[in-house]
Amino acid sequence: MSDTGSSTRYLDQGKPPERFARGWHCLGLESAFADGKPHGIEAFGTKLVVWQDSQGGTNVLDGYCRHMGGDLTQGSVKGDEVACPFHDWRWGGDGKCKQIPYARRVPLRARTQKYPVVIRNGQVLVWHDVEGGAPDMDVLPPELPGIGTDEWTDWFWEVVPIEGSNCRELIDNVVDMAHFYYVHLSFPTSFRNVFEGTRATQYMASKGRPDVSGGYGDAEMFLKSEATYYGPSYMINWLEVDYKGFITEVVLINCHLPTGPDSFTLQYGIAVKKPEGLDEKTAQYIAKKYATMFGEGFLQDVHIWKNKVPVQNPLLCEEDGPVYQLRRWYEQFYVDVADIAPEMVDRFEFEVDTTKANEFWQAEVAENLAKKAREDGEGADGVANPEAEGKPQVMTGT
Amino acid sequence: MASFVPLSPDTLEDQRLYTSARLTEVACLDCLATVGVKKNSEHHTSIQWSTEARAHCPELTRRAGGRESHAGCPRMLASIETAVREGAVPVGAEDGY
Ligand code: FES
Ligand SMILES: [Fe+2]
Repeated sequence: MSDTGSSTRYLDQGKPPERFARGWHCLGLESAFADGKPHGIEAFGTKLVVWQDSQGGTNVLDGYCRHMGGDLTQGSVKGDEVACPFHDWRWGGDGKCKQIPYARRVPLRARTQKYPVVIRNGQVLVWHDVEGGAPDMDVLPPELPGIGTDEWTDWFWEVVPIEGSNCRELIDNVVDMAHFYYVHLSFPTSFRNVFEGTRATQYMASKGRPDVSGGYGDAEMFLKSEATYYGPSYMINWLEVDYKGFITEVVLINCHLPTGPDSFTLQYGIAVKKPEGLDEKTAQYIAKKYATMFGEGFLQDVHIWKNKVPVQNPLLCEEDGPVYQLRRWYEQFYVDVADIAPEMVDRFEFEVDTTKANEFWQAEVAENLAKKAREDGEGADGVANPEAEGKPQVMTGT
Repeated sequence: MASFVPLSPDTLEDQRLYTSARLTEVACLDCLATVGVKKNSEHHTSIQWSTEARAHCPELTRRAGGRESHAGCPRMLASIETAVREGAVPVGAEDGY
């Protein structure tokens, strides 16, 4: 039954998923695990143990020992293995128990959950699949040319635990054109989505809003953004920032680890192509600046997520993006491989010329500027809009 | 198993309305691909490919999966523009969408 216009619209909040998505998930920078100690990472409703062996290989197992449930993340690395703090059982990166120092023999069944690992662009990616399928190398995110060389800065990496929202809220942003204006204070000037196979892409061009930026000249900032999810949780966002004709190339990684039905860990990393003629220190400074700016952008989203409810039946207007198609795409990571339907992976394209929305937004901005001018005329303080001070003026694919 | 499971049957109807309703078939003028097109306004275009149509498009096949395959096929876009100009694709939203 569709709405006839006379009945009240209600929200279908739905039932949260009972499993975690299949696909590659990023645990963080490889260097963060290279200190010869076991590390604990919350993910997939459990805790993982991550350590580097003597060959420099990164290993990931379920964090709880199959002997008596000891917490391996509080153990130690002995040789190539992680040793449990409870009775010193030694677990290898292949998931097998290699040695029990006080026992003559290791039980044949001493195998634990291991997560296949790939190092990509200096980051640790693990394959998660509740069906236990082999890792799909064809759907890995691509290697980023230049990253890891002298031409780019190192990753600035941030980890933000989020409580009170399911990670699908983060996914929805791929199609949410209008929130860039209202939440992130920027003007999207063009907007496009393409979903196909395991990838979902957003293209957006935007510029800063002159009415809420506190006088940094941000209306002169133009941003071209191409953001692709490679699977359910790992997005590469290629950004080109044009500030008064000075162009900077930025790559942003936006990834997350689901930890529970309404919690996840957001991680993001930023690398900047060192502008020619700039010394190392200045390049680092610029990268850090962007990291801060995009970080604040994420916090604007987080604030919305924490206070909203989940919605399975969003009501859309003409200018809204294809949220139903995006969720149909996202569904492929939650069903058994055998149940992936063609429409989940078939190519879908969406394009909206934002001219119409922009006419309205331009008018609103002009009104705000006029109001500001009047207030500046009356008041002694020169602060244009104190609330907006320090807020980011351009945003990324989320 | 699924991601979020809707609690109301009306939500399934919404899903149909927003994804598969009102798609008009447009055939490519250069290859054998036929796609579903929806235009809520002159500013908006949605293009739904099928597995079969996708296999027919030489342009998308040639690009073979890299970043460049995210852009649309120019021939299909031109075919859609022609169809719209000829009035074969209804332009307009239904109750706001
Ligand atoms: S619980 Fe780990 S060795 Fe006993
Ligand atoms: Fe956002």
